[in-house]
Amino acid sequence: MMKKYLPLLKGILLYVLLTGATVLMSFPLFWMISSSLKTLQETNSPGIVWVPRQPTLEAYTAIFHNQNFLRAYFNSVFYVTLALAGTLISIAAVSYAFSRIEWPGRNIVFFLMLSTMMIPAQALIVPQYVFFNKLHWIGTFNPLIIPGYFAGGAAMIFLLRQFMAQIPRELDESAFVDGASHVQIWWNIIMPLSAAPLATISTFLFVGIWNNLLTPLMYLQTVDLYTLPVYVSTLYNINQTTQPWPTIMTAAVLTTIPLIIIFFFAQRYILESVAVSGLKG
Amino acid sequence: MLIDNPYINVLVTAALTVVFIIASCYALGFLARSIARMSGASPKKQENTFAGYFFAAPWIVGFLIFVVVPLGFSLYWSFTDYRVTSAEPARWLGFENYRTILLKDSSFRASILNTLYLTVIGLPLEMAFALLLAVLLNQKMRGERVFRMSFYLPVILGFNTAVLLCWRLMLNTGTGIINQMIRSASQAFPLFSYFSRSLIFLQEVSAAFFLGLNTGKYNLLQKVIATGFPAENRVPLWVQSPLWTKMSVILLMVWGCGVMMLIFLAGLNNIPRELHEAAEVDGATSWQRFWRISFPLLTPYIFYNLVVGMIAALQIFEPIFVLYRDNQPIVSSTITMVYYLWQKTFSHFEIGYGSAISWIILVIIMIVTIIQFYFQDRWVTYDVY
Repeated sequence: MMKKYLPLLKGILLYVLLTGATVLMSFPLFWMISSSLKTLQETNSPGIVWVPRQPTLEAYTAIFHNQNFLRAYFNSVFYVTLALAGTLISIAAVSYAFSRIEWPGRNIVFFLMLSTMMIPAQALIVPQYVFFNKLHWIGTFNPLIIPGYFAGGAAMIFLLRQFMAQIPRELDESAFVDGASHVQIWWNIIMPLSAAPLATISTFLFVGIWNNLLTPLMYLQTVDLYTLPVYVSTLYNINQTTQPWPTIMTAAVLTTIPLIIIFFFAQRYILESVAVSGLKG
Repeated sequence: MLIDNPYINVLVTAALTVVFIIASCYALGFLARSIARMSGASPKKQENTFAGYFFAAPWIVGFLIFVVVPLGFSLYWSFTDYRVTSAEPARWLGFENYRTILLKDSSFRASILNTLYLTVIGLPLEMAFALLLAVLLNQKMRGERVFRMSFYLPVILGFNTAVLLCWRLMLNTGTGIINQMIRSASQAFPLFSYFSRSLIFLQEVSAAFFLGLNTGKYNLLQKVIATGFPAENRVPLWVQSPLWTKMSVILLMVWGCGVMMLIFLAGLNNIPRELHEAAEVDGATSWQRFWRISFPLLTPYIFYNLVVGMIAALQIFEPIFVLYRDNQPIVSSTITMVYYLWQKTFSHFEIGYGSAISWIILVIIMIVTIIQFYFQDRWVTYDVY
């Protein structure tokens, strides 16, 4: 009798455990949304307020009138778009060189590229800061965007190269016979076939650029240039005793939405490629 | 630069950069082809040489401009007292900076010990949680994809300032939701209260001991022990006390265990089914099968996660900046190497000293990575084309 119900019981237990873990893991997200709809009194109240008694959109209307926040949002979108476009195209070009062309020195350059994965970005920030200072690029978006144009991100090149290497050779050979150039083959044949890994890479790049705090903090020194992470961090004033939590959490919700949308669409590719390569978002 | 509008400025710079990159593609391509021609390569090979360097040029040029040259300069500066702000030329100091950092600098020592703490206490917790989730997900049931997504989502949100501020709100000592839940659970169940207070005691003693290692003074440890078992109404002081700051960072690490989970999941998938089936026929329970079959076969993955986690712990910056920035008495209890590097370089503009710190970080990471590469063939097979 017991034997019959055991698998069912085990299944139920499994679902209970997994649902519990899901609730725990997504709790911050729930709390963020819930707090953004509360009043200031409710966020600072000594009792637990799970959901606001009278949800108010006050913080949302206020933040949509906050010029600094709107500008920071625009700056973030602008900076991500510009950086993403250049980085993606240059990474795709370099991956093509590493996967579809036989050239002397390829293995050495490829090994060099892989070894740069060992260098933490932070080890380079000091000399790069001095370099950009010499160029008078402090207080502009340039230091955040331009380095990516030189195929920034060895791990991404590696990921894309592995994929491009698997595309059948016959495709470009027949195109060659028809008189196509490398640039045409890269752009018209290889790129459309690599749509899936390109989506993965753009998501990783997007998340990395969107969440980046350290570089914008170093280089953008005026409020009108701030990107979202920098601006949102200024909303929390460490010298005050009460923080405007509904406002901060509203900004947080609006900052997180693009990440969640992108993740929702790209998760299928991401979860697979992380398992394969151990890469991180 | 000359253009005032920051958006037009960067658009112009980006356009110039693209022109520069395309020009260097051609330059490098022609250079490589003429070398190939001189060495008497066939026309077909000359063409391939041109195309290869043409397409690889963005990376090669970027590598020179943004990696080789900066590393060279920073190596040179690390032996000098160069500052951006001072007009005097830099003085050559020899190994003075390195000697100061390694022997005298208490903040640097603190950052190493903090990383050690995160590695010794935080990483095992994070990995245990990741492994637990992976084992649960590996049961192959309906809706697995949704669970997997929700466990990975924190990695995407991870260190975004906005999400970290939400943690700051939840970790508030008095009104934060986490402490309020602990409080109400303690009032409802006396047993839970004892449990949570013994955890608090354990955590405070170990943290005080670690801070003692840091400063060489153990008065905080004596104070914690003298106070004895925490009183009835005690809750964790997440972002308030130097004893708890590292624990808050560990909490964030555990929350972001999704990457480790996926790696464990890949490891579990690679275990041949026959092994489990054979053991099941022999009457092994699933508990025995986990510890005798899965766990030993997962050790390479555990090792990989450990090494990657250690490198990540060295580089933690955002949580400390968002949670503890400017809170001077607290920040030193949780400082990481990269945070210290940032502080030193950008509050005092001591480029020479900062360069020496970055070279030490680089060497540490290289050592850890070499260990990882050395063991890597045990966990991943590269299918090199």
